Amino acid sequence: MQVPEKLAPCQLFSQCDPQEFEFQTTADLDGTIEIAGQQRALDAIRLGMGIRHDGFNLFALGPAGTGKQSAVLQFLSSLAPEAPRPDDWCYVYDFEKPRNPKALRLPPGRACALSSDMDHLVETLFSVMPTAFSSEEYQSREKEIQESFQEQQGKAIEVLEREAQEHQIALIRTPGGFAFAPTHKGKVIESDNYMRLKPEERASIEKEIEILRDRLQSIMAQIPKWHRESVEKIKELNREVSGFALKPLMGEIRSKYLVLVDVVRYLDAIENDIIENFDQFLEKAQPDQELFMMQTSQKQMSRGRFFVRYRVNVMIDNSSMNGAPVILEDKPACQNLIGDIEHSAQMGTLVTDFTLIKPGALHRANGGYLVLDARRLLMEPFAWEALKKAIRTRQVRIESLAQLYSLVSTISLEPEPIPLDIKVILLGERMLYYLLSTYDPDFNELFKVAADFEDEMDRNHETHLAYARLIGSMAVREKLRHFDRDAVARVIEQGSRLAGDATKLTTNLQGICDLVHEADYLASGAGRDTVTADDVQAVLDSQLHRASRIQERLQEAMMRGTILIDTDSEKIGQINGLAVYSLGDRNFGRPSRITARARLGKGEVIDIEREVEMGGPIHSKGVMILSGFLGARYAADQPLSLSATLVFEQSYSGVDGDSASSAELYALLSAIAAIPVRQCFAVTGSVNQYGEVQAIGGVNEKIEGFFDLCSERGLNGHHGVLIPASNVTHLMLRSDIVKAVESGLFSIYPVSHVDQGIEILTGVPAGEPVAGGAWPPGTVNAMVFERLKAMAEKQKSFASDHEKDQTKS
Amino acid sequence: MHSSMKTGMIRSIAVALDCSPHSRASLVAAAELASRLRAELIGIFVEDINLLHMARLPFIEEVRRYSAKTGKLDPDQLERLLRLQARQAGEMLQQTAEALTIRHTFRVLRGMVPEELMSAAPEADILVLGRSGRSPSCRKGLGSTARTALNEGKKTVLLMRPGVTAAEGPLLVLYDGSEGSMRALGVALEIAGPESVLHLIVTDPAPDAEELCRQAVGPIVESSGIPTEYHHLPLTDGHQLARYIRMIDSGLLVLGDRLDMPAETLRDLVDDIDYPVLIVRQE
Repeated sequence: MQVPEKLAPCQLFSQCDPQEFEFQTTADLDGTIEIAGQQRALDAIRLGMGIRHDGFNLFALGPAGTGKQSAVLQFLSSLAPEAPRPDDWCYVYDFEKPRNPKALRLPPGRACALSSDMDHLVETLFSVMPTAFSSEEYQSREKEIQESFQEQQGKAIEVLEREAQEHQIALIRTPGGFAFAPTHKGKVIESDNYMRLKPEERASIEKEIEILRDRLQSIMAQIPKWHRESVEKIKELNREVSGFALKPLMGEIRSKYLVLVDVVRYLDAIENDIIENFDQFLEKAQPDQELFMMQTSQKQMSRGRFFVRYRVNVMIDNSSMNGAPVILEDKPACQNLIGDIEHSAQMGTLVTDFTLIKPGALHRANGGYLVLDARRLLMEPFAWEALKKAIRTRQVRIESLAQLYSLVSTISLEPEPIPLDIKVILLGERMLYYLLSTYDPDFNELFKVAADFEDEMDRNHETHLAYARLIGSMAVREKLRHFDRDAVARVIEQGSRLAGDATKLTTNLQGICDLVHEADYLASGAGRDTVTADDVQAVLDSQLHRASRIQERLQEAMMRGTILIDTDSEKIGQINGLAVYSLGDRNFGRPSRITARARLGKGEVIDIEREVEMGGPIHSKGVMILSGFLGARYAADQPLSLSATLVFEQSYSGVDGDSASSAELYALLSAIAAIPVRQCFAVTGSVNQYGEVQAIGGVNEKIEGFFDLCSERGLNGHHGVLIPASNVTHLMLRSDIVKAVESGLFSIYPVSHVDQGIEILTGVPAGEPVAGGAWPPGTVNAMVFERLKAMAEKQKSFASDHEKDQTKS
Repeated sequence: MHSSMKTGMIRSIAVALDCSPHSRASLVAAAELASRLRAELIGIFVEDINLLHMARLPFIEEVRRYSAKTGKLDPDQLERLLRLQARQAGEMLQQTAEALTIRHTFRVLRGMVPEELMSAAPEADILVLGRSGRSPSCRKGLGSTARTALNEGKKTVLLMRPGVTAAEGPLLVLYDGSEGSMRALGVALEIAGPESVLHLIVTDPAPDAEELCRQAVGPIVESSGIPTEYHHLPLTDGHQLARYIRMIDSGLLVLGDRLDMPAETLRDLVDDIDYPVLIVRQE
């Protein structure tokens, strides 16, 4: 098999040509942003927002920073102004059920007008009512009713009193009531004198007094009834007077809301209530007359609370809304979503009323769109269930959590639910979407549309321009310096590097935004008006430097020989593998020594990492594939009498992934055939049972990790890395590596089969099978085959000796 | 200046107390006057001898006010109740007088109420009482004590009713040119508060009566600095006068005791009027 050519420098880095842009700097662009590379997600959003049917809510899924929120908000900002403006909502007092405040729906802008009408009404009544009740007509009618009662009572008693006087008997008021007593010349007869009267005279007086007393009793029994009648008459008079004073005011307000049946009904209820409670408008605060401040404040508070019933709590005022609302709730706690009933402390007691009902995001977004971050939503206790319930029942019911869980035991309210017509858009990672989809039975029913955002997009002129527009709009929006086209090109190249693919660009725009901000900062430090490619490069270098502490410590350990990595000699059964380390959002590669030892055995390749449970399942799978490859290729007709051990030297934490399986195979072949491997190379790539080398991830970081070590030790032209040929399109290497390759100091070989790799690594041809399946002598494969064959025979001879020993015994 | 118009002629004010709403109003009015005139306040509580005599009669039963049921009157209990009422009246007087820093004394007497009141405080210049006290029929007109004080008394009497202040607001004097009306005007000017307005009703039917009145009393009222309004009202009917006075919405009505008008007119006026009445007498 022919050994592949080294990669040319141009294959190592896909440059973005600044000349492809017509603009000089991003200031020349019009400042608009187009969402590039997310056609699938945009189609889903369009569908989700277009269907006004239940459950067609949207889940925008994709990694953080891919612009889900921007895309959704941008789409909605074009859609929402076209939609009709939703109605206003307010809560008012329910006179029949005070614990259940009533929800009133009004056309946009009318809720505030109703609220101010009601406030004005109450204010006016404080002057109108006292005027009506202090009028001479009212006063005289009231007095007349009272006097008529007094007269009725007085006359009845006076008649009796006069009759008594005719019999020399006086009616006298006692501390507890009335009594009759015989008199003489206006004075009550003393008991001694009375006893001196003749018995018949006494009997006559006593009889007379008894009759008078009975009559007085019957008069007194009637007094409460007369009193009730007069009270009823006064009440009727009050109703008449207050109704007369109130009617024109109410008529004026009612005429504004004639078409709104619910509002008119509410106004009727208000009118009746005010007539019944007219006296509340007559009282004036008289603090001087109160002896105790406590009594005063209590009285004033309870009076203040009374008038609250005539107020209107405007929950939603859409008077200044342009189209449908788009609400982004940053803290989707339960009470922020469905609203809350607040309490105020009065004299150490928690009290509430319907004016303390606060709207939530669902109220504000009613008739429009609500955008929420799924992770934050799920982190908030009860919020997810509350949201689902609201969407499912198509209404917002405000429930106090504290009340629900008996955390407070004060009087609370149960406001009438408000009908809900809303589109909810959740933004979240894919994992959340799939977890919810799998484990929450309601989820798929309520969020029928998924907008799957790509992690990366194709790299072409359009997407290059989209990047440029993004940078330009960011510069305008956030008042940054504009980028010249070289700087834009450098950002695009970095976008490609972040995507880990020369033909793609990352859609993780957060990383790009950070880069733009830092570059602007550097340009400002340098006193430039425009950001240049040098600024961008300086940012990248500085980012690398900031995050490279661990990498440098490892490099130092390798330089000092603490970590053994050989980059010069040739060794049997030893090879430099490449591993990628992830620390936060930063990845870096470094070489790891992999060694293999072979001996006579039962045909097993032992993965020491797995034996000590430091190897992950994918790594173990890769090693097992090696047994399959060895057995099928070299021991198809004989037992594989080999026992080999493979190990990542000096690894003190877990190893996973199969990207080292090709390196392990090379080390194994070297160990079996006893052919030394050139340590100036490092290898990456996974291998299948046919020996084909397959693509791996993090190719750029791996190459850079080995290059950095060799570079520090001194490049001599032999150093290089073997990568899978299918990874070539992913190369976006650093400029210093490209330069080293250009000057022939470093090489990168694209390998598609292990035969190519082993030949590069050993300098010995791998050999292709000739007719009959034999391998040409002197090749790596022939040497492996011969060694395995010898092992099998030795195994066989051991077995026969053992059988003989057993027969003898 | 007339002898009775000298300032400082009221040095002592007696007030009848019996814990009824009318008597409370009397106390407040008397205290206000006493405070303004720096006069002494004398509280008088009379234990009604009729009541005590009645309680000792063996067959007497009272009809209770709030249940209409009958029950025996216990003389001892009644004595205790009267003592309690007297104590309450005394405390009420003390609190009111101390709040306004007025010299005060309290006297408890036993006897027929009107007579005792008349003779209780001979040194007092004014006797203040409620229009109606504890009379059984809750009549609109005057109570028996007030009537006795009006008809038989020789002292200047102020008849109060609850809910109306005595002398803080407007004052109304009936003027007929007589000595009695001049005396009434003098007292009115003396007791008038800083915010008071004086209404002078000229009852003389002569067409120039108002002018004559202005000439006669103009300098006096002007020197007092009290704003004065003159009304010419040649009426001789007490009920009509009362209606007119109600229209003016004046406050305290000040009358002389020897006006040139029928006694019946005056009685009707005093019976009908809704305002406190001060009858000024020459002692």
